[in-house]
Amino acid sequence: MMSGESESTESELLLPLETLLAAGIQIGTKIKTKHMEPFIYKVRPDGLFILDIAKTCQRIRLAAKFLARFEPPEKIVVASTKLYARVPILKFCELTGATPIVGRFLPGLFTNPFLKDYMEPEVVLVSDPDADEQAVREASMIGIPVVALCDTDNLFQDIDLVIPTNNKGRRALAMVFWLLAREFLRAKGLIPPDGDPPLRVEDFEARPEEF
Amino acid sequence: MPRCFCCNRPIPPGDLAVRFPCPNCGKIIIWRCSTCRSLSRPYKCPVCGFAGP
Ligand SMILES: [Zn+2]
Ligand SMILES: [Zn+2]
Repeated sequence: MMSGESESTESELLLPLETLLAAGIQIGTKIKTKHMEPFIYKVRPDGLFILDIAKTCQRIRLAAKFLARFEPPEKIVVASTKLYARVPILKFCELTGATPIVGRFLPGLFTNPFLKDYMEPEVVLVSDPDADEQAVREASMIGIPVVALCDTDNLFQDIDLVIPTNNKGRRALAMVFWLLAREFLRAKGLIPPDGDPPLRVEDFEARPEEF
Repeated sequence: MPRCFCCNRPIPPGDLAVRFPCPNCGKIIIWRCSTCRSLSRPYKCPVCGFAGP
């Protein structure tokens, strides 16, 4: 158990350390917020803050378990305005049955019943509390919990559950959403406790040539 | 009236509070009032000790 956090006794990593490091999920930014301090492991000589990868794994497992409690899975909305999060989110939703909202978040989507695409989610997952501010704000207006991928430069305003991770990198986003999907399917018993989803991590990667 | 798990104050009707099962144990419904949520005040599960957000 780390730094007195009593959330889980399972501290093992979700994949071999080298695999996780290669995807860069631990690489933060040169900015560190007070909120993110408990999740930061060290600062590199070049000034980049590095996340504690064990805590990242622990929170991915926890968040997946949390999301798996919401039924039906369509009631889980996964939103991101970021380009590199688009493919990972579409793949995550394909595997889990959650509802993706990629690209611009139409104001009123959660709050205005007169909108054609109006929806009533029960939980929201965003890839970045800053970039996805509109989704976070509307979730808080309708009183549903928000799970967020948070980098070293994020704040926790209106966030109920944080997943500390690099939320900017192409490969990091693919890895995190793949792990979330895997843990979600395992938590639901849709794949065995040591099973893998039918898509590979590479399938979750956004391809820059497609932009 | 439910109480906020961050500030321990009763949550007034109509407050934009949030409620969700404890992310760790799922055994209790955690409430956060709108103020604590927007100020990112921490909450703790009385059953398993999980500290969020
Ligand atoms: Zn409160
Ligand atoms: Zn608990």
